[in-house]
Amino acid sequence: MNETNLKKATIPTRRAFSERMVEYAHVNTDFAVMEADIGGSTYTNLFGRAHPERYFNMGIAEGNMVSAASGMAADGRPVVVSSYGVFLTMRAVESVRTFICYPNLNVKFLSSHGGLTAAIDGVTHQATEDIAFMTTLPNMKVLVPADTAAARQALDLALETPGPVFVRLMRDPLFDIYDASTQFHVGGSHQLREGRDITIVSYGDIVFQALQAAEVLAAEGIGAEVIDMYSVKPFDAARLTASLAKTGALLVAENHQARNGLGYELAAWCLKNNPVPFANLGLDDTFAESGDYQKLLGKYGFSADWIVRAAKEIIGRKEGRAC
Amino acid sequence: MTRNTTGTRAERADMLRETAREIRLLILDMIHTANSGHPGGSLSAADIMTALHFDIMRTNPSRPRWPERDRVLLSKGHACPVLYACLAKRGYFGLNELKTLRRFESILQGHPIHKTPGVDMTTGSLGHGLSIGVGMALEARLAGRDSQVYVILGDGELNEGHVWEAAMAANKFRLGNLVAIVDRNGLQMDGPCETVMPMGDIAAKFAAFGWTTLKIDGHDMEEILEALETARDHTAGPLCIVARTVKGKGVSYMENVCEWHGKCPDSEQFCCALDEIKGA
Repeated sequence: MNETNLKKATIPTRRAFSERMVEYAHVNTDFAVMEADIGGSTYTNLFGRAHPERYFNMGIAEGNMVSAASGMAADGRPVVVSSYGVFLTMRAVESVRTFICYPNLNVKFLSSHGGLTAAIDGVTHQATEDIAFMTTLPNMKVLVPADTAAARQALDLALETPGPVFVRLMRDPLFDIYDASTQFHVGGSHQLREGRDITIVSYGDIVFQALQAAEVLAAEGIGAEVIDMYSVKPFDAARLTASLAKTGALLVAENHQARNGLGYELAAWCLKNNPVPFANLGLDDTFAESGDYQKLLGKYGFSADWIVRAAKEIIGRKEGRAC
Repeated sequence: MTRNTTGTRAERADMLRETAREIRLLILDMIHTANSGHPGGSLSAADIMTALHFDIMRTNPSRPRWPERDRVLLSKGHACPVLYACLAKRGYFGLNELKTLRRFESILQGHPIHKTPGVDMTTGSLGHGLSIGVGMALEARLAGRDSQVYVILGDGELNEGHVWEAAMAANKFRLGNLVAIVDRNGLQMDGPCETVMPMGDIAAKFAAFGWTTLKIDGHDMEEILEALETARDHTAGPLCIVARTVKGKGVSYMENVCEWHGKCPDSEQFCCALDEIKGA
């Protein structure tokens, strides 16, 4: 279903990010790019063609790539390292933690195939715990663009923000939500729809699911406020505060394990600051499988249908308590 | 400030042997004061580290981050007492700081960190130093600097597959400014390397990965100098020096005894160790 009038982009966010990287290299002539033999897939090979002297294929050896990036960054050069999320955040996680986050070095992570967007590749290539690993690391900032315009800006933000920045990108094209002039910043968010009954927070590809769900809910007279929390860490607490003051109910939906993702982060924040009826959707302590992306979202519980159902359930709780 | 090349190699070696003796005394004092640390691997690397810091490397203690400096990464970071002793004696920080090793809020952490003056990068989680060195050597080339990058590896550390990923990359990029020095003391934490995880002929392994290799006695100061000079002049690709060493070198009861990997001597043992090193 597509209840919105949004159109699917012709290119995936991984490509949008890398195309912007080539353009940005004319502004910032310093940064280097490292990749792990998937430059054709992450499209960093576009940068490699334009700037071969600053482009390093480190082979299928992500751990070495990330530690080598730390050495380069320790001596002053910003480095973009690129791979698929599973490998970048788990194979190389100690390098990321100890040699990049601890010294707070200028290394940026182009992390493709986030969540179940590597749908047909199966579990080995689906990064469904990456947000948990990366948000846990001190000094790390985490951005998840929801469309191509956001992905292009994420490149600028990553390179203009000191220290490590992780950018989760998707394998397949997403629906275009923003125009090219929309501004983004670290710690920011965008409210894509206003509503009084419930706040739906999401990021990346699931923002589109949330927008679809909001359309369905609107047809039933339910006002859902949809927030794209593209800056997953740090997240926009001010926006959340304002929205919850109005709606008093929160649903978080994400293409990630439900445990230790943004849902858990916001649940902890709510418990401390503003307890409201809450639910979060994501993988329920399970691995997924190969298959059609939309079917997987349906089977594993974070498609628009599930968001609609969960929103109604939460609102029911809210109203029950109000009575 | 710069690389010291005055005097014949024999004369320089004479001076360095005396310096290494002082470094060993500082290592033992530091570990004894902290009541914690790794004497065995610090003492085995003492002669190599002394040669690097007091003769071979181009550094400037008053400008620890001087871009043109040579870098040294103590990948076997648990041996940091030898690094801290060298840095203090070179004047990066006061000798009195050595008394704070491993203490709360000390600049001298249990393993080397980037915040300590003279430490080029955090190391000590084994297996990463050579990769970091690859990055630094690539950066020196990109920036057009003639800095050398020295990486001190333990032989036990070579169990880590990560090291061999770095060895492949150093060869691919023909990093003539990268020098790996393996402190081949033959012991790791649980026992002899050949029992824990046999590494066989380490020089042959690096050679098979495309490196130029040298084998030396890691306690013969003239051999060390000669090898490091050869390495400095070798620009065609990465070079590995496999230095045969003795774990605990200089303290008879520690030499080749595995338990002195991470054990602190008691007061009596400490005094005995000092006497042996002073008298050697």
